Amino acid sequence: MIEIEHLTKRYGETIVVDDVSLRVEEGTIAVVVGTSGAGKSTLLRMINRLVEPSSGRVLIDGRDTLSIPEDELRHRIGYVIQAYGLFPHRTVSQNIATVPRLLGWDRKKIAARVDELLDLFQLDPGEFAEKFPHELSGGQQQRVGVARALAAKPAVLLMDEPFGALDPVIRSKAQDDLLAIQRRLGATIVLVTHDMNEAFHLGDRIAVMDQARLLQYAAPAELLTHPAEPFVEQLTGTAERPFRLLSLTRVKEALEPGNAEGEALVLSTTLHDALARLIALGKDALPVIDASGKAVGRITVERILAHGRLPA
Amino acid sequence: MSARALTFRAAALILLVAFITAPQLFAFVFKPLTVNDAPAIYNHGSLLALTLSHLRTVFLATLASTVLAVGLGIFVTRPSGSEFLPLSRSLVSIGQTFPPVAVLAIAVPLVGFGEKPTFIALFLYGLLPIFENTLAGLSEVPPQALEAAKGMGMNARQRLLQVELPLALPVILAGIRLSVIIGLGTATIGSTVAAKGLGEVIIAGLQSNNVAFVLQGGLVVALLAVLIHDGMGIAERAVARRLGRPVDEVA
Repeated sequence: MIEIEHLTKRYGETIVVDDVSLRVEEGTIAVVVGTSGAGKSTLLRMINRLVEPSSGRVLIDGRDTLSIPEDELRHRIGYVIQAYGLFPHRTVSQNIATVPRLLGWDRKKIAARVDELLDLFQLDPGEFAEKFPHELSGGQQQRVGVARALAAKPAVLLMDEPFGALDPVIRSKAQDDLLAIQRRLGATIVLVTHDMNEAFHLGDRIAVMDQARLLQYAAPAELLTHPAEPFVEQLTGTAERPFRLLSLTRVKEALEPGNAEGEALVLSTTLHDALARLIALGKDALPVIDASGKAVGRITVERILAHGRLPA
Repeated sequence: MSARALTFRAAALILLVAFITAPQLFAFVFKPLTVNDAPAIYNHGSLLALTLSHLRTVFLATLASTVLAVGLGIFVTRPSGSEFLPLSRSLVSIGQTFPPVAVLAIAVPLVGFGEKPTFIALFLYGLLPIFENTLAGLSEVPPQALEAAKGMGMNARQRLLQVELPLALPVILAGIRLSVIIGLGTATIGSTVAAKGLGEVIIAGLQSNNVAFVLQGGLVVALLAVLIHDGMGIAERAVARRLGRPVDEVA
């Protein structure tokens, strides 16, 4: 768990981060969004003390980060940056082994951990372990960057625009992979991005920053239904908000009893996708099945639209 | 390197070794260059001994330049030393602008005749290429790699030894190579102040108006320079390859 309390960073007269407080629960993803220059990266870099706060403090699992020596603190916090910063003179496995080596793990343990991570990130150890970063594609470099950050099983993972350098197709795959890995490892992640879709896709909670201030820190749905300030509403896309809301809600939550004709949808489909199917098939209702294929009810256009309604 | 280039260099090496170990075998080549029945092959000392002593002076001077220039280059690129960058640059440049002959003239009264003044002149002359290449190599280290290194908890020393120096090494080596080559040629003037070296052969030739001597000394120095230049180039490429860089990136 990360607790940020009244964190402020000033450079001379300029305030880059202004009295930000937020708490990231164990095993969740907090996404920090905002326009460039909003102070997102500085906020992130104050967590691992790459930037020293002017005032305020950060607690990780209840411990004040200022009480831990800088380097030791960073060994326990995974850090991924936009261009990954892989060491060009080291192979993939040497790159991944960086922090375990700094921590003085024995060679067997390091080798086992590297293989485990390569497997986790779908990089065949036989093919990739001895490759150099310049021999990898962008997507592969990105995975090595994240694997390296996770190598010493850090309590917390900080990611600064980790998907920014990827093309859109690979990006959404990389985001899904990250989600799957995060669920598996139960990692606590703070991720900075300026991409709203990414924020809604990944965030358990989203922090919206503008001009050094934290405007709102809330679950994605709340950000849409109760934006704290006009800027939040604008950033989430005024016209897009109902659709985003539907993307966040699953068929399960709008299920009604009864039957319908046609191709069945599963419970975990988002309302956004369900509505798309209904429109495409020209139907008012479709049957719903659970994961085992058993019919459990139906979904109607009317119910979906009700879920997309925003409070006045 | 192509097979032909390799054969050519092997031939040059064999020729050089043969000439400095058994120069009399080549007397017939140089005979036509002499007049008044002067000796065709340098006869005041062994060419082998002169070559080894020449190489020794250059090696020691470059080693000293390397230690100081790389050390200084590292120091002025640290936050604590950055203030000294302009000063170091000027000092090192003065070392390069000051003609080695003038250094010899000043050094002789201070340290006496022999190898010492030559060593000082070569040492000063060799600083600049190594220093500038150290700066260039260190400044070319990708900032993201440094940021990541810091973010993963490497301390300043670990960043220097594990990231910065390995990445800068090919460029630093290129600087050292340049200094060695400059030193090989410049060391010949050391013989004017009685340093043992190949300059002795050339100077003897000039004094006795014997073209054969001048040519011998010059040829040995030139062959040494070409071969050492190539050898170090191969070493640099090997290092760059081991550092995982495409070879063509290292000029």
